[in-house]
Amino acid sequence: MVEVQKFLIFRKRPDEKARYERYEVPKKKGMTILEALFYIQDQLDSTLAFRYSCRGAICGSCSVVVDKVPQLACKTQVSNVKAAKKPPKLPEFNYGDISDWIQEEEILIEPLPNMEIIKDLVVDMNPFWEFYRKVEPYLESEWSDEAPESAQSSEDAKSIEHLVYCILCGLCWSCPVNATNKNYLGPTALAKGYRFIADTRISDKHREKIIEKVWQENGVPSCEKYFVCNRVCPKGVKPGTAIKQIREKWSKNE
Amino acid sequence: MKVEKFDAIVVGAGLSGLRAALELSKKWKVAVISKVHPVRSHSGAAQGGINASLGNTLEGKDDTAERHAYDTVYGSDYLADQDVVQFMCEEAPKIVIEFESMGTPFSRLDSGLIAQRPFGGAGYPRTCYAADKTGHALLHTLYEQCIRKEVIFFDEFFLIDLIKVDDQITGILSMDMATGELIIFRSGYVILATGGFGRTYKRSTNAIINTGDGVGAAFRAGVPMQDCEFVQFHPTTLYGTNILITEGARGEGGYLFNNKKERFMKNVASKAMELAPRDIVARAIETEIQEGRGFENAYVHLDLTHLGAERIKERLPGIREICIDFAGIDPINEPIPVQPGQHYSMGGIATKFDGRYCETPLAGLYAVGETASISVHGANRLGGNSLLETSVFGRYIGRLLLEKGLAELPSIDKLEKAEEAAFTGIEDLFNQWNTNSGKRPVEIRDEMGIVLDTKVGVFRTEIALQEACDQLAALQKEFENVQIPTSEREFNFGILRNLELRNMIDIAAVTAYAALWRKESRGAHSRIDYPTRNDKEYLVHSLVFKTEDGLMLKTKPVKLGKFEIKERVY
Repeated sequence: MVEVQKFLIFRKRPDEKARYERYEVPKKKGMTILEALFYIQDQLDSTLAFRYSCRGAICGSCSVVVDKVPQLACKTQVSNVKAAKKPPKLPEFNYGDISDWIQEEEILIEPLPNMEIIKDLVVDMNPFWEFYRKVEPYLESEWSDEAPESAQSSEDAKSIEHLVYCILCGLCWSCPVNATNKNYLGPTALAKGYRFIADTRISDKHREKIIEKVWQENGVPSCEKYFVCNRVCPKGVKPGTAIKQIREKWSKNE
Repeated sequence: MKVEKFDAIVVGAGLSGLRAALELSKKWKVAVISKVHPVRSHSGAAQGGINASLGNTLEGKDDTAERHAYDTVYGSDYLADQDVVQFMCEEAPKIVIEFESMGTPFSRLDSGLIAQRPFGGAGYPRTCYAADKTGHALLHTLYEQCIRKEVIFFDEFFLIDLIKVDDQITGILSMDMATGELIIFRSGYVILATGGFGRTYKRSTNAIINTGDGVGAAFRAGVPMQDCEFVQFHPTTLYGTNILITEGARGEGGYLFNNKKERFMKNVASKAMELAPRDIVARAIETEIQEGRGFENAYVHLDLTHLGAERIKERLPGIREICIDFAGIDPINEPIPVQPGQHYSMGGIATKFDGRYCETPLAGLYAVGETASISVHGANRLGGNSLLETSVFGRYIGRLLLEKGLAELPSIDKLEKAEEAAFTGIEDLFNQWNTNSGKRPVEIRDEMGIVLDTKVGVFRTEIALQEACDQLAALQKEFENVQIPTSEREFNFGILRNLELRNMIDIAAVTAYAALWRKESRGAHSRIDYPTRNDKEYLVHSLVFKTEDGLMLKTKPVKLGKFEIKERVY
């Protein structure tokens, strides 16, 4: 007999009350949470909604909360969920009554925290993108296609590499500040701001502008140094450390 | 029925689409329609790099656009059109330098110039990179610039069908995925940049979203498909999930070993070894596995251990992460289990023989990137040339259309009639799916994938291809009776994935059909029963048309040029 894995999944249709539904998925070696979700969508309920794209932890689409830990569905092995060491000191995420969750047996899947839920595991990321745009995350110089390219030392390029790896998955919005302050720019936008502040190729003028943006009331000053962002980041971007570095090196008054 | 009007519509927000939109938005009102948020596009998964004859390294200082073009044409097994290849290679240094000026965080040499690494089939270290996350770096750069330039995006809008009046494109029918509402985008210019269609195969490196929606829609609208028999199988995909392990891993010095601990590439490409082009390495690996020299009859080893921890961490951090997360092994200590898997569609929407690049036979419709076959890759694409193609031709198409000026649309009566027909056609189809009693989409999708994997794979034969054609035709028939509930419309991925299957099932059939027709071995198309290249009969592009009586194949000449046709040896 094929062994099954039980799931308890958050479901909600727009304008309807949330509920939790139970599913059983045949276990398969190497199966990820994303594959399990597809099994449910393909075989059990085609209306189950969740975002996805690359299935290789590079596109940032499939962020969900698995057993109360925010993570990428594609990067999480079903077999590992119960055994995995959870990141310490995560905030509590509440979506509804789960008093009948059989924690030892059932994998609980819920949407990203601190965002409006549109349907099932799909959340409204518009505020996330809006705050991302707010820090003006780009180089502002005129494009040029004439040789040679502008030079940058290898060390300088490497110094922002980990920040560049951000896949904009939104997991760091599990930050407790995001839970209470709907206007908080959030760790993603601030780390993205720092990626450009710290890029040696940016103009002084645009750097000043980004510094101004990240130092607004709902930016760096609102960060309460929980470092939840660092602990849930699937790409080692360490947004909290980036915010710390903005504080240390790029204070507004300099 | 909601109708949005734009000067031009770009479908797809990967590198091709974003680059086209950036250019067009300078002057026009342009909509970018994408079924995923732009940074989720599959361009972001490209790892190894982008080719340009910058000549930044000591070993590469003599490199030129001409040599790049030669390698590309030679690598294509002479099926690429030489004029367009020449154009791309001349544009390459410019496009890479432009990316840098936009902010792309390239890896750097000690000189501070953009770093370049050797890649398969290239005479010089020509591949510019940002560690092993080049696609990600480029995609984010273009998206950032789109934000800066306030490009208009319709994220999570799904292209369902093209709308045309007579032989002119007039817009698209799309679904707003969040609400499920059908929306018309009206425009005299539609640029399809919807990527490849690797998900027709089960064993593929492609993102789950790579379902050829633009290609399927164009094909239904009467546009032929070109060279679809040429499917690139990437030699090194991670055993189990088939996630891509970049050619850069071999570019950095990785070895391929069989179960006898032999570097078997010496038997097929004694000079280039592991850095022979992808078709050759894929065949060599497949042969090792088939002849019992693989592991578990399924994979060989890609060994990086001799490169040392430092180099792996610096140059291939993403690969290390993938191996740890998805296979539980650390390439610093252990070899990586790899097998060939579908990776890239050299074929795609046909473009005209005469006229401008990317122009399709349907007036106002353009295709760019992996969606198109224009054709720079011919029978085999070189690594590092696809990122290049996207942005070179994205920019090109933008400039071309601005130069041509705004399109004139047919009369409003005709437009509305065509839009109405598209709209009601899809509503009827949804109703039909809701009441059908046939197979569920997953059953058809799985069968299609297995047919392509097993019968239209690395090695092909007449018998297997004929079976594939028959089975795929049967699946197309079954798809007419596919059942899926369609009453709930908000974010209903069941419906969306069935619309994707509607596209894939046609493309899969075209792939097998063209592969059956081509009785020779060229590039990625390897026929056991016709093991050699046959220039006399087959140095031509295949064009497959959809007709009332089924598929029909015509040929189109290849644009030859100064590179003399030779045997391809590495």
